[in-house]
Amino acid sequence: MTIDLLKRFLLFIVFVLAQALVFGRIHLFHYATPLLYVYFVTMFPRNYPKWAVLTWGFVMGLLVDIFYNTPGVASASLTLIAAVQPYFFSLFVSRDAVESLEPSLLNLGPIKYSYYIVTLVMLYSLLFYTLEMFSFVNFMEWGMCVLGSGMITLLLIFTFEIARSRA
Amino acid sequence: MKNLLEFLQRFHHWILFVLFEALSFVLLFHYNHYQGSVWFSTANAFVGGIYELNASVESFFTQAQNNERLTTRNFYMERQLSQLRRLYQEATKQPVPKEVEELEKLSQYQLIPAKVVTSELHKQNNLMTINRGRADGVEPGMGVACGQGVVGVTFLCSDHYTVVIPVLNGSSSRISCTIRDRGYFGVLRWYGQESGYAYVEDIPRHARFKRGDWVETNGYSSIFPAGVLVGQIAQVYNSRDGLSYKLKVRLSTDFGTLRDVVVISDKSIAERMRLMQAAKDSLKLNVHE
Repeated sequence: MTIDLLKRFLLFIVFVLAQALVFGRIHLFHYATPLLYVYFVTMFPRNYPKWAVLTWGFVMGLLVDIFYNTPGVASASLTLIAAVQPYFFSLFVSRDAVESLEPSLLNLGPIKYSYYIVTLVMLYSLLFYTLEMFSFVNFMEWGMCVLGSGMITLLLIFTFEIARSRA
Repeated sequence: MKNLLEFLQRFHHWILFVLFEALSFVLLFHYNHYQGSVWFSTANAFVGGIYELNASVESFFTQAQNNERLTTRNFYMERQLSQLRRLYQEATKQPVPKEVEELEKLSQYQLIPAKVVTSELHKQNNLMTINRGRADGVEPGMGVACGQGVVGVTFLCSDHYTVVIPVLNGSSSRISCTIRDRGYFGVLRWYGQESGYAYVEDIPRHARFKRGDWVETNGYSSIFPAGVLVGQIAQVYNSRDGLSYKLKVRLSTDFGTLRDVVVISDKSIAERMRLMQAAKDSLKLNVHE
């Protein structure tokens, strides 16, 4: 338990720093910014305490907000993802699966995992940009940001997942 | 009571969820009016420290290029200065008194050099953080400029870091400026998209100027002294209501490579601000800033 906590804590720091110093500064074609820290929240295993997922998500969001001066935007949307994640993940596993099954490409298989991760990441991207712009005046820009950032985030996540499943 | 406890036990994560969301939205909506928000922004010492470390690594790799640019700029200035001095002498035949006056005017401003630790270009409302704060004499509402021209206005200060609203902030940046040598006033605004261009609005219809004219601050805003470079007129449009001109200005400051800036601290500004505040209070008008 402690080792798991420690591992998660290190991973947490890595994700926050990677977002703050590298990914948050990428703006591919003006629209696509990797929001890779969502990946952290999608990685919680089955039966992980729900309050803990929520707390991890909220604190992660808050830190990203602090680093990018977007108060409340990432924390509000990431908290929602963290609230949904346990319930959503349970839809993809059978009742007799391993107690602490982790959502990963290897454990779920490509099709189920794609459904799982695409839904969560796109939902996050949608929430994030809706809160950030807080208007639909620039409808095109909003749409492009949601799609572009969602796609580049997914691309990165799949790269990591494939690397993990080969290792 | 037992029921209540049971209820709490079953739904405690939903309660936590609601709590976190509420907190997030409080932050989201109160940021601009919430002075304590220094903690939740890049003015926060810890976050600023991490960014400063990162910026110093980055600036190490861009040093050579910067140096080169500064040297050429310096050379150009030097030449211009000597030319102007010569012209001035020819024109007035009495070089000393006015020059001294100009210098004295400048020395009333205290310049606080600072380094940019983080900045954004691609959002609608970009912000920037610099590594000087209250302890160095920076206060909210001071002008920030660099060797190339105007940068922005300070917004939130902690002891050692300050968040700046740069020109590239669509909703909050309004800097009043004028067309050099022609004297018409306008307001500098930015609408997102291109980080190299901004717009000057409210130039009167009877104004005469041409493309390529320089735009500079007019010194009325009580934040910048007169004559800080803004940019060059690239295109002229009619405003939507047709009552004024709207100029597209190529900004002289390159926000993409900005590293060294100065905060302009005018000792008389504080006094002027206090006077303005007193006037506003006495009028009980809700003039937005």
